Amino acid sequence: MSNAPSRRTVLASAASLAAISPFGLATAQPATVPREKTMILVWSGSREGRWVDYELWNPYSIGSNHQNGPNIVYEPLAFYSAFADKTYMWLAESYQFTPDFRQLTIKTRAGITWSDGVPFSAEDVAYTLNTLRDSGPKVKWGIDVRQVMKEAKATDANTVVIDFLVPSPRFFFFMTYKYDIGIYIVPKHIFEGQDWTSFKHFDLAKGWPISTGPWKVTEASLQQKVFDRRPDWWAAKAGLAPLPVVERTIWLPSVGEQALAQAMITNQVDAGFGIQPATFKTLFNGNPKIITYTGQKPPYGYVDWWPISLYLNNDVKPFDDKDVRWAVSYYIDRGILIDVGYLGASQVSSLPMPDYLPLRPYFDSVKDLLEKYNTLEFNPKKGDALLSGKGWKKDSEGYWSKDGGRIQVDIIGFGAAGPAMGPLLTEMLKRRGIESAFSMPPDFDDRFQKGQFVGSIYGHGGSINEPYGMLRLYQGQSVAVPGAHLVNFSHWKNAAFDKITDEMFAVDPNDKARMLPLFRQAMEIWIPELPDVQLVQNFHRIPWNTTYWKNWPTQDNAYVNGASWHLTYPLVLWNLKQA
Amino acid sequence: MRALYIARRFGVFLLIVWLAASLNFFLPRLSGQDPVRTKLLAEAQLGGYVQAGIEDMVKEYNQKFGLDKPLWRQYISYLGDTARLDFNYSISNYPRTVRDLIAEALPWTIGLLGMTTLLSFIIGTLLGALLAWPGAPRWMRYVMPPLWALHAIPFFLLGLILMYLLAFQWQLLPIFGGYSPGAVPGFNFRFILDVLAHATLPALSIILVATGGWALGMRGMMVTTMGEDYVTFAEAKGLKASTIFLRYCVRNAILPQTTALALALGQILSGAVLVEVIFGYPGIGALLFEAIRENDHFLIQGIVFTVIVALGLTTFLLDILYPWLDPRISYQRT
Amino acid sequence: MLRYLKRNPSLAVGIGLLSVLVLFLLVGMVLIDPEDARPLSAPALRPPSWAYPFGTDRQGRDLFAAMVVGTPLTLRIGFIAGILGVVIGTILAFVAGFYRGIVDTLIRGIADIGLTVPGLLILIIIAVSVRGGLTVNQMALVVASLAWLNPTRTIRSQVLTLRERGYVEVARLSGMNGPEIIFFEMIPNLLPYLGATLVNAVSAAILASIGLEVLGLGPLEAPTLGMTLYWVNFNAAIINGWWWWWTAPIAIILIVFLGLFFMTVGLDEIANPRLRRSV
Repeated sequence: MSNAPSRRTVLASAASLAAISPFGLATAQPATVPREKTMILVWSGSREGRWVDYELWNPYSIGSNHQNGPNIVYEPLAFYSAFADKTYMWLAESYQFTPDFRQLTIKTRAGITWSDGVPFSAEDVAYTLNTLRDSGPKVKWGIDVRQVMKEAKATDANTVVIDFLVPSPRFFFFMTYKYDIGIYIVPKHIFEGQDWTSFKHFDLAKGWPISTGPWKVTEASLQQKVFDRRPDWWAAKAGLAPLPVVERTIWLPSVGEQALAQAMITNQVDAGFGIQPATFKTLFNGNPKIITYTGQKPPYGYVDWWPISLYLNNDVKPFDDKDVRWAVSYYIDRGILIDVGYLGASQVSSLPMPDYLPLRPYFDSVKDLLEKYNTLEFNPKKGDALLSGKGWKKDSEGYWSKDGGRIQVDIIGFGAAGPAMGPLLTEMLKRRGIESAFSMPPDFDDRFQKGQFVGSIYGHGGSINEPYGMLRLYQGQSVAVPGAHLVNFSHWKNAAFDKITDEMFAVDPNDKARMLPLFRQAMEIWIPELPDVQLVQNFHRIPWNTTYWKNWPTQDNAYVNGASWHLTYPLVLWNLKQA
Repeated sequence: MRALYIARRFGVFLLIVWLAASLNFFLPRLSGQDPVRTKLLAEAQLGGYVQAGIEDMVKEYNQKFGLDKPLWRQYISYLGDTARLDFNYSISNYPRTVRDLIAEALPWTIGLLGMTTLLSFIIGTLLGALLAWPGAPRWMRYVMPPLWALHAIPFFLLGLILMYLLAFQWQLLPIFGGYSPGAVPGFNFRFILDVLAHATLPALSIILVATGGWALGMRGMMVTTMGEDYVTFAEAKGLKASTIFLRYCVRNAILPQTTALALALGQILSGAVLVEVIFGYPGIGALLFEAIRENDHFLIQGIVFTVIVALGLTTFLLDILYPWLDPRISYQRT
Repeated sequence: MLRYLKRNPSLAVGIGLLSVLVLFLLVGMVLIDPEDARPLSAPALRPPSWAYPFGTDRQGRDLFAAMVVGTPLTLRIGFIAGILGVVIGTILAFVAGFYRGIVDTLIRGIADIGLTVPGLLILIIIAVSVRGGLTVNQMALVVASLAWLNPTRTIRSQVLTLRERGYVEVARLSGMNGPEIIFFEMIPNLLPYLGATLVNAVSAAILASIGLEVLGLGPLEAPTLGMTLYWVNFNAAIINGWWWWWTAPIAIILIVFLGLFFMTVGLDEIANPRLRRSV
């Protein structure tokens, strides 16, 4: 009985708190930040509307995913923006390789402190790299570092010297934050002695996670992650970047595309995740202040670094025959794929590299090859000719067959690209006489990785600013990198190609004089072979709401790729201006 | 005698629990898929780059989750853990534990299903009883056919139609989820209203459909009961109509209805899974569906086990109550 | 026959609805080219018009053709699974109910436990475990694996009752053995009941298959009713305003279930004359 009044009072005050703060956020936020200084985004890396990893702020721990928030907490040695082809030297001031690329000296910037007051130094960098090397397969990037790095030493407070096992001209770029690849530099004085696989680095009372960046985690729960701006950010003081105008950014978990659409139309959310082309019309009609990278016009987004193709498992007959692969390519009308599959909101991709500024010279260098062997051509007659030339004949039902067997492409797919193109591809192939079926098995990744497929719709995580990454995707064997894990999803094998790729491994990516001819040599082998069938670029079609914030990275102002889940998101955050 | 009956029934319940647990253990593993691998690869694919050494990483994590031990070893530890209600970590939702996830989702499903089943059972039974009673008002006859019609269609189908009309066309109610994005759950008026608003469409889909079923069943039972001798006797005795209605007919007809309720629980849950998935409602159904798609052994095991135990418990309780309700049924063997 | 139908309105309505559907399918098959049910046969996302009476979907299927081709596929799954379920169920029910003893306890136990578990969950687990996608026939088998549970239970209770009837006693005394009694005496008397159970089982099987398909676990390329709804959900057709895409399959599903339901009620009345005085 005596409890009743106090409980009522508590409920009443909770209710009144709920009434004054935006959309029912009734729990303790240290200070109320006005809506127009808050940037709210929704990211689909959550689980059915919950942040299951709200306590995981160590990006190397099991289950942690930098896409869910740690990407703006841990600063890198450098940022790279592919759109602007610009590197922002960050925690590192400069770097220098020895001519044989077996040693790298990095000069870190002076005057940077972690948010708990401890100064940042080269010790943190050395510690991070050495622990990665020691951890190996236990953590992300561990093996990549172990394969090539011998030792990282901090020779003074602002100098790190790294010794390599093999020449590694791409190592600094590898550590740079771009897209989803980069090394997270962690504070030695906090992480030392902890088990990286399980250490959470989360204790709001202590101010953990600590960071050199401007974003402090003030709340993390199943429902939201709240980052508040720290005014004493070193980069603002050093003039490298403006202090963000955004004072608070709230990351909400996703309950699906429709819910996101509703929330954006009602101005409850400022930025979303990549959605399907069809939803945009609803968005624009509901709220004319919503835009995308290409404004309100198709393709409603920017090219991501993951061009998509139809992989044909070269280990499965008859796809070991390049004529059959080319025939499949000739039978596919990419125009229809884009018009029907993406409602016109996509672009073709002639090679498994994204159409980025720094890669254009490479595309140009093989223009003649592509004209001779057009990887995008839709020409059923040429396809027919190739197949008949190899002894295939159309049987009574109109399907190509030889020795009693038909050409059969069972395609597996996943995500959005699968359903968008899968049924269309099978239809097109069936019409030309190739048996085909499409499915989206729940163990897609497993089967694809193990090579248990005939056809698959997948992308290429290869090159961003130079072609080695893409070439490596097709390498069957490598001697240049000890213990290399080669993906080679297409299971194509060519020893000469492998050699050229190994050669390129040791070449400085900035040395165009050597890179271009090597690339050309590789392509002279690759293009006529066509290990997989080229289809379309991958797009990030992200909706942005200009009601409260402007200066989003759009086509006219493409300073970086605008995905909130990429490691380069801090650039967007410090560029946003009030609407 | 009563004790023996209860004991035997409890024994059956335990048997069901053990069978469920065992079946539960083997079914997800039948597919031969490796959930750790799937999860790691899916994450790698998200970033677009499969980093070197992912195979080794898979091995490490498998070890951590105990998935590399021989099957029988895993089974024993599974049984032990289950007895302590420790369902391990959820692989696809690491670092959340399965118990936490179920604890979060269960209240939603219990709230939705519990309320709707109870409401539709009570309303439907009453309606059915009235419909069979010749003394009922005439207009009731016209209520029946639409109820019949609705009852025949699946929950989620009605859900889709209601979603289009009420949420999209006329924008009266929210389309998805358990609560608005950004709302923080708490015992405040605003949040509760939000939850109710979001629960209305799923609840309506279930209630409108299920009520007809109960009405139909009750009507049939009533017809049978009304033909019994003791009712004729009561009428001859000149008892009031309402007395005969309630204490003679309904009281007896409701017993098979209750059995039907126990049997129907499994079906209702099946229907609810689809409703939850369609509406993005954060209950057990949606959680299980997600678990199955991710092939998250531990989560699937935990949920299916919980569901079977819950249903088994409910059936057990109803089994105990039934003889109490109907003295004609003895506690002895049937 | 027609006079009986007048007295049994439920059966009449049921048969009527299903006849309308069959008529639609027959006329449809004459009018359409089955190829049009495949993607890319028509411009995408067109509302209903003379050329495309039900409109087209996101992948360019002519929805009219898709419904005409897909409905029989859905019905086929239901029928195969339902018939299999009732046949197996009847066999098990008779074995259990007639011979009693341990076999009865075992069969009844399994059926009871099986019914306690939400069927859809088990089906989902099975469907996900099968490597590669399911074909239409495989789906029928998956659904059939659980379809016998309910028929076993209900037919068994009928068998238990019939067993005690006079004519069975007489048959036994006159020297007929078990199977003969079952086939010549009991089953003919059970026919209306078996009929009602069959229709019920088919209805339940169709529901289960549609449920699996809506969750995306069905044959991805077949234009069945459930798969069409899956694509509707996947492409957010409701909030994108493509109403024609989901109205057609929902209307057809409604007719199917209502028709089957009224038939069950009607057959129930034949089996249990007590229900005859009613609305």
